Amino acid sequence: MNAFELNTTIANLRDLQASDLTDYDGVYLGDIYCRLYESNFLEQLGDLKEGLHILHDQGKKAYVATYAAPRNDFLPKVRKMLEASVAAGAEAVEVHNLGILRIAHEEFPELPVHVGGFANIYTAAGAEVLRGFGAVRFTPNYELSLDEIHEITATCGAPLELLLHGKMPLGVSDYCFLLDYEEKWGVKCPDLCQKELFLKQGDWAMKSLGKGILSGKDVCMLEHLPRLLAESHRHFRIETVSENPEYRREVAAVYHAALKRALAGDGDVDERSWETLRRHAHIGLCNGFYFGRSGMDYQGLRPEALGSLPTISRAES
Amino acid sequence: MVELLAPAGNLPMVEGAVANGANAIYVGPRGWSRRRDQYEMSDEDVRAAIKIAHAGGAKLRVAFNTNMQSHEIAPMLEKMERFVSWGVDGAIMTDIGAIAEVHQRFPHLTIHASIGANILNNEDVRFYRSIGVSQVVADTKLTLRELASRKEQIDVGIEILIHANKCYTYLGKCWMSPYHRLERTTDSFGKDLFKGSPNRGGLDYRVCMESWELYSGEKKWENSVALKNDAFFLLEDIPHLIKLKVECLKVQGREYAVPLVERIVRFYRDLIDACLASPDADTFDIAPWRSRLASIEMERDSARSDGTRQLLMEARQPLPAI
Repeated sequence: MNAFELNTTIANLRDLQASDLTDYDGVYLGDIYCRLYESNFLEQLGDLKEGLHILHDQGKKAYVATYAAPRNDFLPKVRKMLEASVAAGAEAVEVHNLGILRIAHEEFPELPVHVGGFANIYTAAGAEVLRGFGAVRFTPNYELSLDEIHEITATCGAPLELLLHGKMPLGVSDYCFLLDYEEKWGVKCPDLCQKELFLKQGDWAMKSLGKGILSGKDVCMLEHLPRLLAESHRHFRIETVSENPEYRREVAAVYHAALKRALAGDGDVDERSWETLRRHAHIGLCNGFYFGRSGMDYQGLRPEALGSLPTISRAES
Repeated sequence: MVELLAPAGNLPMVEGAVANGANAIYVGPRGWSRRRDQYEMSDEDVRAAIKIAHAGGAKLRVAFNTNMQSHEIAPMLEKMERFVSWGVDGAIMTDIGAIAEVHQRFPHLTIHASIGANILNNEDVRFYRSIGVSQVVADTKLTLRELASRKEQIDVGIEILIHANKCYTYLGKCWMSPYHRLERTTDSFGKDLFKGSPNRGGLDYRVCMESWELYSGEKKWENSVALKNDAFFLLEDIPHLIKLKVECLKVQGREYAVPLVERIVRFYRDLIDACLASPDADTFDIAPWRSRLASIEMERDSARSDGTRQLLMEARQPLPAI
């Protein structure tokens, strides 16, 4: 039994079956951006049940994600998905939408609810309101700094879950601009967003999933684990919904080992770990908003770990 | 009777909007609303705005629609208490914790859930109703059918943006701008400002409107991808929205020049009055209004593209050293 939880996100059964989850404690199933994402667990309820069983068979906590921006016509399917999740013994559902939170609380009270990053928890008072709707864990909005997160932790009776590594969600749309290129590229949905696409301009870069926009750089908190642990955080996400199984396995191995060392009082990071993270971060590394700066900036002792595009903090340039 | 709600980024705009037929005005106290601080107001100006609005028979709403920090809720409540004592008619808000606190402290104050709350489905509306919200701004992406369903099923006031931007992403669920540039400062009253983060009350650099190149690996697939972000004026929908009995038609644009906002407000005042006088929404002749709107649209587009160019240049500026 770990003193921490390391989890990730997997969108479909194919990806789940191809992934080595040794270093994870739990997995959120489903793509939160698009109903048409290839064999999305949230639409393929047979796959979802099988996915939950696979996770349980491996001794992992099995969570189910929900859509970040559901309209009225999503809700009947969401209800069926929640029903299937309860029946298959999901440990919790993650909600980003307060309407879905309300449905889960009223119609599926036995299902614990984790509140996701798109639910816009910026304040301790906001978390308190949602605790009244049955929420038991919170991912604060990604825009918050560690100091602001600490303000929530100090008064919130429920644990917070933090993005530890990976592409940070930046936005969600109802429109997939990639569909405009189906004919020109000769690639159809749902294969379009499987192409590892990056929007770039100068030293700016964002990863595109069509309806989902993610950071181009990988948020990396490897050298800040001692602070996170000292501030009582124990639930961590490595965001891999748009990554390949190698990324998922190797990055988790780095963090699992580093967390164990940090808990034992050793916060040092070996060179091989940096090399692994650098190899997977094609655009570079950043800290998101954790240090109160632009999300693409990096603050730390390892500027050489940043990656290929110019990433020196603008304040220092 | 449908209400025409107008923006005001300064006192002359309050006067102009009232004089041109707005039923209600909204303003933002400095540091607490979703706009650049130059389009927000000091507390004394908010007080003056309340007086101007009330003297002209209009209501005055105050926008506290940032996603604030935990420790900012107490000073927000103090400020709200001041505005309530001055007779403010309602608060436009986003943060659910702040909404719940305001409702508890001022149970008779009308709370409007801001566009930033990104209320997308009927269950969302029910959630916000349960924490004290009585009117919600509809997301710009919702269809008339979705609005009709909301109106039919839930006892809630509906506000429709009739002049606003339709972003690529859902508003309130996007932090592309601060990802690229976030400048945190503190004003002379100790209020933290977040230049670059619209959700937190700072300006939006509109980075989505950059001309993006699209890559997969080393291969460039496209030279110029635009993530759609269009400003719009609703026109054809107005008679149908009035027929649907939405409570409020809202014009955004605190950042525009006073004469332009006056023209927009006058246009919609006249259009709403004509619709109300018309026996049937389905047969209302919108054609003459289209040509009148065209010149306003041209002026707005010019101002907006200048603004976007300036913002994208600002977004590339180095941050001041800490």
